[in-house]
Amino acid sequence: MAVPYDRLKPDSAPASMRKPRGNRLVANMRKHWMLYVMILPGILYYLVFKYLPLAGSAIAFQDYQIFKGMQGSAWVGLDNFRYIFSYQDFYLVLRNTATIALYQLVFGFPAPIILALLFNEVRLMLAKRVVQSLFYLPHFLSWVVVGGIVFELLSSQGVVNMVRGWLGQETILFMQEQRYFRSIVVISAIWKDVGWGTIIYLAAIAGINPNLYEAAVMDGANRWKQTIHITLPTMFPTILVLFLLNIGNFLELGFDQIYNLLTPMTYSVGDIIETYVYRAGVLQGQYSVTTAIGLFQSVIGFALLWIFNRMARKTEQGLW
Amino acid sequence: MKLTFGDKLFQLFNYAFLIAAASTMLLPLLQLLAVSFSSPIAADSKKVFLLPVEFTAASWLHILQNEGLWLSFGITAYITIVGTLISMLFSVLTAYPLAHKDFLIRKPIMVGIIITMIFNAPMIPFFLTVRELGLMNSLWALILPGVIGTFNMIIIRTFFMGIPKELDDSARIDGCSDAGILFRIYLPLSKPVMATVSLFYAVGYWNTFSRAVLFIRDPEKWPLQMKLRAYLTSPEELASVNLVLGDYDFNTTTLKAATILFATIPIVLVYPYLQKYFVKGSMLGSLKE
Repeated sequence: MAVPYDRLKPDSAPASMRKPRGNRLVANMRKHWMLYVMILPGILYYLVFKYLPLAGSAIAFQDYQIFKGMQGSAWVGLDNFRYIFSYQDFYLVLRNTATIALYQLVFGFPAPIILALLFNEVRLMLAKRVVQSLFYLPHFLSWVVVGGIVFELLSSQGVVNMVRGWLGQETILFMQEQRYFRSIVVISAIWKDVGWGTIIYLAAIAGINPNLYEAAVMDGANRWKQTIHITLPTMFPTILVLFLLNIGNFLELGFDQIYNLLTPMTYSVGDIIETYVYRAGVLQGQYSVTTAIGLFQSVIGFALLWIFNRMARKTEQGLW
Repeated sequence: MKLTFGDKLFQLFNYAFLIAAASTMLLPLLQLLAVSFSSPIAADSKKVFLLPVEFTAASWLHILQNEGLWLSFGITAYITIVGTLISMLFSVLTAYPLAHKDFLIRKPIMVGIIITMIFNAPMIPFFLTVRELGLMNSLWALILPGVIGTFNMIIIRTFFMGIPKELDDSARIDGCSDAGILFRIYLPLSKPVMATVSLFYAVGYWNTFSRAVLFIRDPEKWPLQMKLRAYLTSPEELASVNLVLGDYDFNTTTLKAATILFATIPIVLVYPYLQKYFVKGSMLGSLKE
């Protein structure tokens, strides 16, 4: 293997001329100054829009007043957290969020795995491509559009009620009834992203060595046995990584979806942390309290990630 | 391979299921299209399935004359074009040093970036930061706070890392600078991945919604998705005429259907190009090393 010339140089030079280790960075900066200049906008972006807001989360421990700023506002310790835990609405919102999140995990997470396995059984390449293209399409629509479609389909004049009419059943105003809301959220989320979600699993399946299947056939394994004993186990590391990433964002359901499906009639079952924080924080200016709620949400996510990562490491590789 | 009877039966059900499920991805859009071209009476009496009933283009003619809708369309087109260009510039300039083996601080920066994927700042501090920067009601608030999509940047970086180092070295011997190597060698070799990521960014900007909800209070500056949302929640504004008094060939149902499609058509038009590249592109996103 060829070693780059500049890496050979320090060792081949006399000891007195060798650069001390701390100067490596300076030398690297001098030689590749362009790289350091190039990355400046990127670093600036991450500092300003990612790290600054993270540091700004400290207002959860303050009585933040917009005109006083962070320096001028008083520190109040855990008062905001005490307040939210004594507040009835918070439990309602937390329960809604956790319930929907659990449904999403139970039904939404396995959906792309199953779909990828079904795709894998399709032998006609043309059919496979057409079906896949259709499945990927909704991923590129905004939640405003998908929300609009859902409202239209389920309205009193919508297709769903039209079909119910054919079957002699009465019209239901789905979007206004509390008991349908969570199912609608889960189904619409699956509809939008199940196809897109298969891509990463299909990549894992594509990487399976065909010899494994040939050997299995020799041993008399049918398609089902091959799927259970070869395809699924090879997908397992991918499934695990995605599961851990998912669990880390457990309570983050996505503002766009819920906001576009929610109506005042369904607040009691569908108002989640993000929509609540938006109304109480952005619109009503309760900055410190809603930041405390946001921080609580992140801490729960991280705790879940930590726990499941520990469990994962016992059997397989975790995220870290 | 020989198929048993059970295998054949499974194949049959699998095809039937996949085709049925795949058609539900398209049917809602086709149904809206049929409604948008139907008469208001037909649309409101559960008669329109997949073909227009009592065909009329009145709804489309009405919304296409809506200046507010075109204004928001223009704003979205503007942020899509400007935003995609700036995002690509930022992403490429960040991805290249991070793909470069001789860039000494590559690892710590990469770790710093990955951390932001795990620890998301809560909504309110993010909102306050953008407001402190004076970006409220500015279209820049729709571009700058998300100018680099970390996942997109990693796709570019992974592709750059796959370019043979020998090309790099020979260009350097010919006196090419780091920037020269990026623009004369890397970028021309990366056209497919550039196309994929540009389209990802463009779709993201086209669908911009939550940032507009947070940062744009002035309805004159609303992007298309915001305008669409406003019209869907109060369709009387979309009608802009008194539907009860006049004799019109549209109503709120047909107008809403047409407006939803109006906001969707550009996506559907670029979709064939999009999907040609994205499967390959999104597989590149897997983190290396």
